[in-house]
This record gives sequence, C-alpha cells and structure tokens, in this order.
Amino acid sequence: MSNQIVENLRKEIEAFKAEVKTEKVGKVMEVFDGIAKVSGLSDIRSGEMVTFQNGERGVALNLEEDAVGVIILGDFSKIKEGDEVKATGRILEISVSNNILGRVVNAIGVPIDGKGAISAQGGSASGGKSSIEYYPIEKVAPGVITRESVGEPVATGIKAIDAIIPIGRGQRELLIGDRQTGKTAIAIDAILNQKGQNMICVYVSIGQKDSKLRKLQARLEAGNSMEYTVIVSAGASEAAALSYIAPYTGVSIAEFFMDQGKDVLIIYDDLSKHAVAYREISLLLRRPPGREAYPGDVFYLHSRLLERACRRNAKYGGGSITALPIIETQAGDISAYIPTNVISITDGQIFLETDLFYKGVRPAVNVGSSVSRVGSSAQIKAMKKVAGTLKLDLAQFRELEAFSQFGSDLDDATKRQLERGKRAVEVLKQTQYAPVKTEHQVVTLYALTKGYMDDVPVNKIKEFESGLIDYTERNAKTFYKEVIESKMWTDKGEEQLKKAIADFKSSFIK
Amino acid sequence: MATITPKNIAEAIYNATKDKSGRELEESLRGSVRVLWQKRMIGKSDDILKELQNIFERKEGVVRVKVTTAAKMEEGVRKKLEWELKEKHKARALLSEFFEERDVLGGMRVEVGDEVTDATYRNRLRQLEKFLMQEK
Repeated sequence: MSNQIVENLRKEIEAFKAEVKTEKVGKVMEVFDGIAKVSGLSDIRSGEMVTFQNGERGVALNLEEDAVGVIILGDFSKIKEGDEVKATGRILEISVSNNILGRVVNAIGVPIDGKGAISAQGGSASGGKSSIEYYPIEKVAPGVITRESVGEPVATGIKAIDAIIPIGRGQRELLIGDRQTGKTAIAIDAILNQKGQNMICVYVSIGQKDSKLRKLQARLEAGNSMEYTVIVSAGASEAAALSYIAPYTGVSIAEFFMDQGKDVLIIYDDLSKHAVAYREISLLLRRPPGREAYPGDVFYLHSRLLERACRRNAKYGGGSITALPIIETQAGDISAYIPTNVISITDGQIFLETDLFYKGVRPAVNVGSSVSRVGSSAQIKAMKKVAGTLKLDLAQFRELEAFSQFGSDLDDATKRQLERGKRAVEVLKQTQYAPVKTEHQVVTLYALTKGYMDDVPVNKIKEFESGLIDYTERNAKTFYKEVIESKMWTDKGEEQLKKAIADFKSSFIK
Repeated sequence: MATITPKNIAEAIYNATKDKSGRELEESLRGSVRVLWQKRMIGKSDDILKELQNIFERKEGVVRVKVTTAAKMEEGVRKKLEWELKEKHKARALLSEFFEERDVLGGMRVEVGDEVTDATYRNRLRQLEKFLMQEK
C-alpha cells in the first residue's frame, strides 16, 4: 500500500516542471479595513487579480502614482506590512460549470454549502457544457448588434405583476419599496414559479443576514427549485469588498448559462446595500465623496451591471438574462440618490408600499407608481386581452375611493366602478409562496373584467376564484389547451370559457 | 487644492539644481531648504531625499539590484551576473547588493525594482507543493 503511494507521488513529481519566470512583485505598505496599499506592481491593470503571500486574493482598484489600492477578498487580518503581493495578469475571474446549479457559493464562486467542490464531471441534467470554465467578473455588456427586443414573458406567478406590470425575458425590472414590504417574497415567488419554464435562476444575496439566506434556501429546496437555482452570497458579516463583487459574480454565472442559449433570471437582493459597500470601499480608498457621500461613479457601478442583462438574438446564440434588482427605500422616498439612479437604468419598476401592506393588500404593489416599459410586448395574447384595462380601472378606483369619502351621494356608474375596484383588489391579493399559473390568471381576470364577479360578495371572492379555476379546468378544456399550447385566444375558446364561468356562477350564487 | 507630496518637492529640487555647480548649486540648495522650512516640510526630508535619489538614479540610468542566495557567491560569478543584468536592463550603472539567506536553500533570487526572478529552491518547492495539492 505505502509502496503504491510512494510510486504515485514519484510519478507526479516526475510530471512536475518547475518554471522560472520574472514576475511583478509589490510590497504591502499598509492594511486597514479590507484594503491594502501596495507599492510596486508598476504594470498592473485596474481590476486585475493579485495574490498575497499567505494565499489570499485581492483586486487592484486604485492605481495611484506610487501605490496601488487593493481590496482584499478574504481575511485581511492575516496580511501584514511588508508582505509580498504578486500580480496575476488576469482580471478577477470565477470558475463555473453546469454543476453549479443547486449550490450556494460565495462572492468569488467558492461553494459554502458544505457539499464539496464544484466538479467538472457529469454535466447537468439539462445537458450542455460539463467542463469548468473561467469567466471574468467584469465584462463589457453585449453590443447592440447581438441583441433582440424583449418578446417572451417571464411568468412570475404573481397576478398583479403578470397582468399589470408584465416582465419580459431580457428585461430589467426594479423591485423597490421600504423594509418589510415583501420585495424578497416577490423574488422568491418568481423563482418558485420558474419550475418547468426553461429558466435558470441566480439569486445574489448582498449584505443579508445568514439566517435569512438559510430560510430562503430551505424554501427553495422545499419547492424543488434549487435544482435550477444558484445562490451567490456575500453575508452581512463579510468584508465590503465581497458585497461589492457579489453581483458581478452572479451575472458572470448567468452569462455562462446564457452563452449556452438558456434563459436566466437574476435577482440582486439588494443594490442599496451594494451601493453602501461600494461607498465604504471608495471612502477607504480616499476617493472623493459626492452626493450622500457616494463616489462619483456609483451610477456606472449599477449601469454596467444591469446593462449585462439582455436578450441575445438567434445569430449570437440566443439566451437571455432577466434582471430583478431590489432597492430598499427609506420612508418611501424614491427620490433619493440610489433609487433614482436605478429607476433610470431599469426598464420599469414595481413599487411596493407599506400602507398597502398593512391594509392587507399583499403583494403590496402600488399599481399607479409601478410601470413596465417593455414587458407589455412580451405578454401572451390571452393575458393582453383580459388585462388590457385593468391598470386603468384600478387607478380610477383609487381616485374614486378617495373622492367617495367626502360624500355619500354617488351615481350608479361610480358605485359600479367602486364595487368592481374592490373586487379587483381582492383578486390581486395573493398569499406568499403560492404563484398562480398564467392560464388560471387569465380565467380569473376574464371573470373580473367581464363583470362576472360584480355580484359576488367581496369576502367570497377568493372562494369564488378557487372554485372557478377547478370548474373551468374540468369544463373548458379547449380554452386551456389553446392558452397553454398556442398562447392564442379564439372566439371558440372564449365562448367555452364564458359558458363555464356562467354555469359555475349560477351554482356558486345558489 | 491637491497636496504637495515628497515626490513633487524632490522633482522641483532636481529641476532647480540640474546642471548647476559651485556657488550656483549652493544657492539653489539653500533656496530649497528655505522653501521646505516655509512650507513646514522639514520633517519629511528623509522621504524627500529618498525620492530625490530615485529621480536621480532614473534620470542617470542607474539600476539597483538585490540578489539573494543561500551561500556566498564567488567573485567571478558575481561579476558575470552584474554584467548580464547591466546588459539586460540597458543600465549606465548598476548598484548591486548581495545577501545570504539560508532559508532559500539554493539557487538565487534577483530583484530589480518591482521585477522579481525567483529561481531559488524554496520557490520551486512551493511550486511543487501547489502542484501536488491542486485537484486533478
């Protein structure tokens, strides 16, 4: 046995070829709060990876006249003054393979879920590449020639979103709201609903509590959603440098799958903390502070990240990255620096409101302030048909609701509109972790907008809805077939649906 | 306003004293010290002198070399190495320092500015360690 070990070692040592090469080596001048000032390294590039004497990695961020400012990606307490620092000649990169699916990795792509290293062998169940590849975390976004306009929907399973603020594959839609308004809940529901939708999901957790992440992972595992999901985590206890690079690592993983022609949904939870981490790094690097003490390039920080979300045309391999960045506001102030920046970068925003949340309207989407600039062209025909006027109806309802508080004498048309509005709000309410299939949404919204629910008591709307779905599934099979398979809306299907709804309603009212 | 660094001062002193000698050089140096006194930068004179030396060496084509070996190098080998390095870096003059360090075990390590060529046995053993530990 020992002879075998010795023999194997001998063979390996014989295969080893030591190489002598000239390297650029710098010296650590000072270390503080995850930052190292390094002398030497004269030819280093911005964003280049460096290795410290003790094996820790870092990224050169500030190229000054006599020194280089390096962010340390790991434990900086073991790095001391005078330590050698070697330039690697490579921009920071992460290793990715199909086997990364179902794993939780840290900001530099190293697994932290205790399931061992990500192996190259095997590939994934969905096929494609099986070898390990190295992807740089900073990459220029795909050019205009390679892109295609958004035309295919991302079904989130949330009625308020799919019907009123639809999201398309390749779109960047911001989730914005105060703390505890259900931003992460929407993101998780969207991931859960991707099962069987031919979508890979990447969840990037930035500066979140480890307990929250663990809960989220357990939820995804319970819904069998981890098999198509990767979680990238830079926890609250980790260095700001890791929070800064985590979203770029996430999008690199997403690009790996997009390069295989797959559709990817990436969630950045959240970019406010990302901006704060970048502010911390910038101030430590003595970059001049600007508004709210953020550095001058904080817009570029997010624009270059979100610009990497796109839909590529078939000539360039297809595939898409849909980005759902999350921004946490303070006391509903969406005119603060970072929220306005990200609102202007993205293709729309879903605004969640504390007042609505505490009124019991969950998801607490403020339909008036929310918008999707490109998603409507990605909506399926059936959904477009039923949800066309819903946004306007709801906005009018909100206005009338406020107005009706001043007087009791309302005309019949206004009363009707108010009653319809109350039912619409009720229909759009949804419990957490219960995404609704698109075809079911179509049926419910059809019944709502065509007035079938007008004489159903508001407190019975949920019961009516679930009963209606059960009944129509059994009695309007042609309609369902058309919507699911060909995404079409035909008069024949509509007739069948109308009949089924009328039949169900008559039995329900009795 | 940007802060004045020791390097800025050193560059100014170098330019003020360049190609001067005798009384003229003395005047320039006296002026330089007066400016340092007025700007309250006398305390940084060590850094300024260091920078001045760097500027002088760079302008005059002087290259500093640090060679580390496990045992003392023979005089002939030293001379040959110095000549090779002078040729490689196209230096007008070479300032070499030789160190003995038992930890390097064998071979040599040559440092020219921030360029390091490490051909010591210690470095080779580290490379072997990395090679054996990497996943295959």
